[in-house]
Amino acid sequence: MGRYVLKRCVYMVVVFVLLTFLLFNLYQLMPANRAYTDAKAEMLGLKNSIKAEERDAKFDELYLKYQRKYGTDTDNTVVLYLRWLGLYPFYDGNCSGIFQGNFGYSYEHNAPVVDVVGPAMRNTAIIGVITELAVLAITIPLGIVCATRKNSKFDKGTQIFSLIGFSTPSFIIYIVFIVFFCSILHWFPVSGMKTPGSNYTGWAAVWDTLYHVILPTICLVFSSLASITRITRASMIDALNLDCIKTARAKGLREKVVVYSHAWRNAMVPMVSILVGGFFGIISGAIIMERMFGFKGMGQLFFNAVITADYDLIMFLEVIYTFLGLFSTLVTDLCYGLVDPRVRISK
Amino acid sequence: MEKKKSKFSSRISGWLIRSVLGMKYEEKWRAKQQAKNGNAEGDEEKKPDDSELIVTPARQIFERFLERKFAVFSVIVVLFMFLVVFIGPLFMPKYSDSYTEVTLKNMPPCMSMTAVPGELKNDIKMIDSYGAFSVGLSNSGKVYVWGSTAVGATGINLADIPQEVKDANIVLVAAGLDHIIAFGDDGRYYGWGSNRFAQYERTETVLANPNLEPVPEIVANGGIDVTQIKKLKCGYQATALLMNDGTLYIWGNKQAYSNMDWFIGKTNIVDIDFTLNYVVGVDTKQASISVGVKGLYNTARTSITGTGEKMMTFMKDKKIVEIAASTQSVCMLMDDGTIAVTGDFLADSVDLPVLAEDEKIVSVESGNYHYTVLTDKGNVYSFGGDHYYQATVPAKMGKAAKVYTGAFQSYAVNEAGDLIGSWGLKGFIFGTDDKGADIFQRVIAGGRITMTVGAVAVIIEILIGVSLGCISGYFGGWVDMLIMRIAEVIGSLPLYPFMLILSSLLAQVSMTTDMRLFMIMVILGVLGWPGFANLTRAQILVARESEYVTAAQAMGVKEGRIAFKHILPNIFSVILVNMTLSFAASMQTETSLSFLGFGVNYPQPSWGNMLSQASNATTAINFPWQWVFTSVILILTTVCINTIGDTLRDVMDPKSSNDK
Repeated sequence: MGRYVLKRCVYMVVVFVLLTFLLFNLYQLMPANRAYTDAKAEMLGLKNSIKAEERDAKFDELYLKYQRKYGTDTDNTVVLYLRWLGLYPFYDGNCSGIFQGNFGYSYEHNAPVVDVVGPAMRNTAIIGVITELAVLAITIPLGIVCATRKNSKFDKGTQIFSLIGFSTPSFIIYIVFIVFFCSILHWFPVSGMKTPGSNYTGWAAVWDTLYHVILPTICLVFSSLASITRITRASMIDALNLDCIKTARAKGLREKVVVYSHAWRNAMVPMVSILVGGFFGIISGAIIMERMFGFKGMGQLFFNAVITADYDLIMFLEVIYTFLGLFSTLVTDLCYGLVDPRVRISK
Repeated sequence: MEKKKSKFSSRISGWLIRSVLGMKYEEKWRAKQQAKNGNAEGDEEKKPDDSELIVTPARQIFERFLERKFAVFSVIVVLFMFLVVFIGPLFMPKYSDSYTEVTLKNMPPCMSMTAVPGELKNDIKMIDSYGAFSVGLSNSGKVYVWGSTAVGATGINLADIPQEVKDANIVLVAAGLDHIIAFGDDGRYYGWGSNRFAQYERTETVLANPNLEPVPEIVANGGIDVTQIKKLKCGYQATALLMNDGTLYIWGNKQAYSNMDWFIGKTNIVDIDFTLNYVVGVDTKQASISVGVKGLYNTARTSITGTGEKMMTFMKDKKIVEIAASTQSVCMLMDDGTIAVTGDFLADSVDLPVLAEDEKIVSVESGNYHYTVLTDKGNVYSFGGDHYYQATVPAKMGKAAKVYTGAFQSYAVNEAGDLIGSWGLKGFIFGTDDKGADIFQRVIAGGRITMTVGAVAVIIEILIGVSLGCISGYFGGWVDMLIMRIAEVIGSLPLYPFMLILSSLLAQVSMTTDMRLFMIMVILGVLGWPGFANLTRAQILVARESEYVTAAQAMGVKEGRIAFKHILPNIFSVILVNMTLSFAASMQTETSLSFLGFGVNYPQPSWGNMLSQASNATTAINFPWQWVFTSVILILTTVCINTIGDTLRDVMDPKSSNDK
């Protein structure tokens, strides 16, 4: 087991380096030159104090200074990448990259990216965990009941409902919910994280936030109900058709034990990747939901970073996403082992 | 050469028939082909074979599919959608992605824009319209309003005619974009509708606002002699009242008409009208159009495409009797019964009519882009902008005595006051969007793009996924390892963030919209193939162990041939099911991306970007037609595609048939 994890970790590092290198190079294609912009800005400040004929020379000097500061004084992408990682020194001889804890500086928020991402990640994680737990609490029992009572009225009703839900893009669900709960019933605010102009502290602030967060949570839960119900039902039906279930029933086990212990254990196998993926997917945030409700989470942060071309921030978020993606595959594989002993043996 | 070609095509069709319908059908088909090639008259009676008793798997699947009514219904719906979105655009020759019309924006679904009320039909005194609604007046002094009468989200409905107007005997009405002005026979004036820009009121706030011109005191006090009124005309948010003695009263929003000040207090006006941005008039000299702006409308021409002549020389021995103004052009009626135009016309405009020698034009009316003229012989001609067929006069129409125009409509009325014809814009079945474009047409054009993107993305996914899956599953070893690791990495990356990134990178590269569309499809396809690769690989691993593969290997068939020719057709059914489900998923991804603004961009329509306006809660509640129709069609399509996929999976799975 330990060796397997170690092997996977080494592989993860390799893929991580390859992917980030690829992304890093993609960003080099973007037409943005921070050194040039800053040099121009400083030139503007100095304009009157320098003679006209010296301006070009002064600008070149400033440009070089900023290029050296940002580490862009070379066209070699490998060097640029290594500097970003912190494995290759800058002009002044110091390394300042990811390994030194410098993930970059967000020009849009005017703060180090780590400080920007922190609160957003907290918001997203809270709403995501609540959502995920609520979704699982609803869908798994629902899927199991549907599978055991296959083709009953209840099952058919749920099937139709989940088919429609599965086929509806999430943003349409959000629009309907906003129109219904905000515009018609006036139960919840349309967007935002706190009442504008309010200055609550303590419990009042918590309540205010809750009041703003309830509708987004309901929307998120609702939009992911359908697909997980479908998957649970399908894998449960498959599991109930297994020979071992016949054996269990033949042994005279109670139906409850058959369903929740024998069948469910088997049904878990195909569901593992969805469950694990769901929990890791939380962090990347629900871009559409966060956009529509003005929720200050990872999705909104990422969206705005892409819009405003805040490169350091995008790069950092990409690192997080890539890492999470790779880590979740590792966890999924390990969970397969936990759920299905056969997998463990074959390793 | 010919023979080789036919052999090749027969092999391809044989493969297709085998993979879709099964071995049995291929044999039957081959026998038929041979009979056809062998003897020309080959219509010998063939005894029905046993295939009706022993049903092929394909036939069984087909029959079981037909048993499920909803699935069959779904197939019909999806086929219908395909037909509509791919053939539909052929029936809308005037559709253009970037068409906008400010006076028609945010209009609710309505098809009654030319529907003159029954009571008015045979008793028409006058009809007027500027925007989405029309106002009519009967000879008995009753006012009727029809068309799309609700003004945006303001809650104002022009069909709510004030009680005092209903009680009064009205002699004159005129309609603006969002207001109506009427005059009673006692000289009182009435106004209703929007009053945000002093369209009909003289209040303290209006008097204090330098950008608004209040209703003149004499008009407000009812001191107008209605028998002396020559013309009452409403513009965008303004109104002009012209008396027989040349006195002009004009009021409303000065910001909508920059040269309004120039006209205030004029007493030498013969005719007046409004273009989109200017007030245009004719003074008592009757030699040119007075605008108060130098160089505007100073050339005249007798054909839309013709070259202009200086107004001075053109008007040498003629006088302007009447003018009619549309958005950007003015039509002048001369004292010799001819017409000339000045200003700009849209590209698809119908040209001026060519009349017989002795036929003279007696009146000219204008809509937003078109003109309708009436001759002394009772013939009616329309010309100018024809986007809503407002310049296409019906062929069969009696002798007209009067013509009236709405913004995009024309009405012809005979001597007795009966309506004998109406043509032009009838309305919008799905309403219009925030730019005034027809949502119904955009749904069709957008569906074409959304479905194309979905289909091409799936094809790319299949091409990459299935071939890599085949290679990986069949050859195993380090190839398998490498491909599966790549698939795993791509599959584990969060979809939307990466699409956003790639799409924003695309935005940096300058390319045509079609190229960009194709790149979106490629992005969707390239990020979506791991599912197909995993599926194909798993299926191949199972199939590889089966007897027919062993047999093929024993016969010395090449590895690649076994993978692609023997195994692939056998796993076709599973790929088909997933193809259907992926198609719906790709459409959803495209709509979500476009909704966020990172997929298909305006003006190209897609079901996703047509809904992006609705992310604003105010828009969503005030203009529900802007998202409801599109959403319902999108959901219906994806539900049906998913149903087809689900049903296919059910009927192809031998296990599910046993427990039924």
